[in-house]
Amino acid sequence: MSSHREAPEISMDPVADSTDLYAFVSPDRPNAVTLIANYIPLQAPAGGPNFYQFGDDVRYEIHIDNDGDGQPDITYRFTFHSRLRNPDTFLYNTGPIAALNSPNWNSRQFYSVRRFSDGGGTGTELGKNLPCPPCNIGPLSTPNYDKLAAGAVHDLGRGIRVFAGQRAEGFYVDLGAIFDLGDLRPFENLHNQYGMNVFSGPAPGVNATNQLNVHSIAIQVPIRELVRTGASGESDPKSVIGVWTTASRQAASVFDAETGKTVSSGPFRQVSRLGNPLINEVIIALGDKDRWNALPPAGDKQFAHYYAQPGLAAALPSLYPGVFPNLAALVKSGKARADLEAILLTGIPGGIIPGFQNNTGSVLSDMLRLNTAIPPSGSPNILGLLGGDLAGFPNGRRVFDDVVTVELRAVAGLTFALVDPSFTPDSAASAVTDGLTDASVKAPYLNTFPFLGVPYSGFDNPS
Amino acid sequence: MGSQNHPDQSPDSSAEGAPRPEPSRRSVLYGAAGLAGAGLAATAIAGTLAAPAAAASVAATPRARPGRAAGVPSPAEPVIVHVRDLRSGEMDVFAGETTARLRDPDLAARLVHAVR
Repeated sequence: MSSHREAPEISMDPVADSTDLYAFVSPDRPNAVTLIANYIPLQAPAGGPNFYQFGDDVRYEIHIDNDGDGQPDITYRFTFHSRLRNPDTFLYNTGPIAALNSPNWNSRQFYSVRRFSDGGGTGTELGKNLPCPPCNIGPLSTPNYDKLAAGAVHDLGRGIRVFAGQRAEGFYVDLGAIFDLGDLRPFENLHNQYGMNVFSGPAPGVNATNQLNVHSIAIQVPIRELVRTGASGESDPKSVIGVWTTASRQAASVFDAETGKTVSSGPFRQVSRLGNPLINEVIIALGDKDRWNALPPAGDKQFAHYYAQPGLAAALPSLYPGVFPNLAALVKSGKARADLEAILLTGIPGGIIPGFQNNTGSVLSDMLRLNTAIPPSGSPNILGLLGGDLAGFPNGRRVFDDVVTVELRAVAGLTFALVDPSFTPDSAASAVTDGLTDASVKAPYLNTFPFLGVPYSGFDNPS
Repeated sequence: MGSQNHPDQSPDSSAEGAPRPEPSRRSVLYGAAGLAGAGLAATAIAGTLAAPAAAASVAATPRARPGRAAGVPSPAEPVIVHVRDLRSGEMDVFAGETTARLRDPDLAARLVHAVR
C-alpha cells in the first residue's frame, strides 16, 4: 500500500490502483527474480457476497527496462476474465471449494500472460486460462485455503512461475498517524501539535493495513530472461534492471443502462503507475499526481524538482521543532537532494557504497532498480541498504522491507552525507520511524513463491 | 516458449459456465455519461459514420505501446464517438482498441440533432 489511493483519479478506481511493487532475487531460486505487483487496496476480508477480483477490463503490466532509457524492454501483461457457472444464484459458492475446479465455486476468474519485447508487436503467449484462487472466505467455504491457493501457482515452463490472486497485505505503515499532519507516534511528544498539547509522550505505531488483503500479480523469471546479454557481476551495469507496474483502461467508456454494465472501447491508456514506493504518495504534489500516473518513467525529468526539494523534508523541521536543525539548514540552503535523485531516479552509482551499485545511467526515471547479481541475504535486514543489507531496498524491494522508515530517514537527511561529506545528518535522522516492523504484519510471509502471506479470511477477520 | 493452457480449468467449455453477458449493439446507442464532461459524447454504429467519415479529415492517433498490432474492431464491438468541439466538428472515434480523430461539422451536428 505504498501507493494506495495516492492520486485523485485512481483513488476512485480500486481495481486499477497499484498499491505495492516488489522485485528481488528469489531466496527460493537465486537464479531467478520475483516480481510482485499488488492491486486493489485495503480489502476487508469479509467482502461477500461479491468478493474481490481483478478487473476484467483492466490491462495489468509489469515492465522491465534493462538499458536505462526508462522505456520497457520486456513487459509481462496479465489480462483477466471472470466466469459465472450459475447466474441464477446470489452465491459466490454453493458449497466448500476444495479445488480450483470445484463445481461449488460459482464466481471464478482466469487470466492470460503475454510477454512483449521492446514494447511492440503482439507478444508471446506464456499462459492462458490460468485459474486464480478464490478469496479466503472461511472454514466452510474455503477449507485448507493455503493448500488451495498453492495450487494456483502455475509453472509456465522455462523456469517461469506465476500466481495471481488474493494475498495478505505485507506492507506496514501507520497511515492514521502520518496523514494526521505528519505525526510519528514514537516521537509525537516532539511534534509541534499545533499548540494543542494532545500528546504527552511517545506511543507505539499502529499498522493501518493490519488484517487487510490485497490482490497480487506475481511472476518469477530466470535472471537471464531479464538482463541484457553478457551481464556479469554486481559491478556490471548490465546486471541492473528497472521495474515498474502499470494498469491501463480503454480510453472511452459509457454506462449501458439496459444491461447495467459499462461498455469500453478504444486504445488502452495508462491510469496507474508504481515504481519506487511512496513516490506518488508523498513526493509528487496533488496537482501532478494524476498526470504522473499516466506517464512512463522515461518522462520523469519533468518531476525531478519534487525529488530535489521534497515537501516532506521542508515540513519535518517545522513539525518537530529543534529536532532536525541540520535538515532545516539544508532545506534553507536550497541545495538539490542529489541523494534522493540518485536513489530514486538514476540508481546509486558505484563507489559510494562498497560492493554496490544499481545505477542505470543518466535518464531520470522512477523505477525500482535491482542489481540482479547481488544474491539474497542469509540474514536480511528490513532497513535494506541503510541496515547494511545490499539485497534489500532500494536494491529492489522485498516483501518485508521497511520502506517507510528507509524513506523517512533518507528524506530526513541521513543519505545526503553520501553525496556531500560536509553535511552532518541530525541524530534524529537515523532514529525516525513510524514505529512499525515486519512483526507488525499478522500473517507470516512465505519463504517461497509467491512470498506474501495467506490472505486473512472473512470468517476470522476482523477479530 | 509454448503457451500453457489449463484445459481442465478452461472457461471456454460450456460445462464451465457462461461468460458474463456482452452488451448488444443496440444497447450502446444509449448512455454516454462517461464522457459527457469534456464535450458531447455519443455512440453510433459504424454504418452511420461511414459516409461522412469518408469525406472528413481523419487522423489515426498512435496506439499505446506495447501491442501496437492489436485491436482491429469486430462488427460486434461498440463504437464510441466523443465530439470534442461541436463547432469545428472535431471528434474522436473509439472502436476495438483503436481511435481516430475526425473533423466533420456536419456529422457532429447530425449527432447532436439525434439526441436533442
